[in-house]
Amino acid sequence: MAAVAEKSTKERLLSVLDDLEVLSRELIEMLALSRSQKLPQPGEDTQILELLVQRDREFQELMEVAQQQGKVHQEMQLLEKEVEKRDSDIQQLQKQLKEAEHILATAVYQAKEKLKSIDKARKGSISSEEIIKYAHRISASNAVCAPLNWVPGDPRRPYPTDLEMRSGMLGHMANLPTNGVNGHLPGDALAAGRLPDILAPHYPWQSSDISVGMLPPHHGNDFGLEPPGHNKENEDDVEAMSTDSSSSSSDSD
Amino acid sequence: MAQSKLEKDSENCSMLPLVHDIIKCMDKDSQDVHQELVKLKAKIHEAREQVTNMPGINSTPLEQQQQLAMLQGQVRTKNQLLQKYKSLCMFDAPKAS
Repeated sequence: MAAVAEKSTKERLLSVLDDLEVLSRELIEMLALSRSQKLPQPGEDTQILELLVQRDREFQELMEVAQQQGKVHQEMQLLEKEVEKRDSDIQQLQKQLKEAEHILATAVYQAKEKLKSIDKARKGSISSEEIIKYAHRISASNAVCAPLNWVPGDPRRPYPTDLEMRSGMLGHMANLPTNGVNGHLPGDALAAGRLPDILAPHYPWQSSDISVGMLPPHHGNDFGLEPPGHNKENEDDVEAMSTDSSSSSSDSD
Repeated sequence: MAQSKLEKDSENCSMLPLVHDIIKCMDKDSQDVHQELVKLKAKIHEAREQVTNMPGINSTPLEQQQQLAMLQGQVRTKNQLLQKYKSLCMFDAPKAS
């Protein structure tokens, strides 16, 4: 009985159909035989007929069950489509969450870097007054603008010379020779014959204890340091430089 | 349309009328008995074909109900999951203390 219950509806239907075929054949053969031999029917055909009717009823019941299963099957197909759609939605959502995680991780990393920079800036804070003083000083040494009466050969210039570059931090980092044997000296400096003056300069930013982007620690004391070529004759020029730097700093604001 | 056809087939799936016709022909010694026999054979063959092609009857009704319940459960779970993700307020600004 348990084995029958475990059979699928299709198997049961096919089995009942086989039974119907066999029973109907037997019944017809039996009737044909009894008519040809004119023998009285002993009632066996009645049993077969009853079995046939029973199987036929069972077949119809199973067909109804099969139809119900067909409806359930349709419902299941709809549900399977629904499940596939939900799976697709979940995968899409997962993808979006991954993207959001990546964006957030990047943002958090950048924010941490900014916090580090802020912390570093707070530790090495410099007053604006000192920055303005420093700006005045580098403008007074013709580091940002040439004097008004500048002519070729005049060592005062707004940019560092080759030797100055070699003796600076960048030159040391690149291990460039500072003796000028392999380097190229500025032609105007050579022509002017002022090499010793050029070799001698001492700018605050060339100090060995200057770090990139920071002022020298003793900048307050040597504020009055005069750059090379700076003398009383070009005092007016220095004043002009100071005015330039002031105006440029105010422009930048 | 297919469903109504199936219902009609189900109503007409009984073999007894054909068997009855065969017995009547035999009683009358009619020559139509062979035709009726062929009809019965064709009917059984057609029924077998129909059963073979019917969808969703490869399992018992009980197993099918279990599969249906499982699918319904899956849909319900996935709906709840999606609803949960949609209702998450991960980016709410914290309240100022």
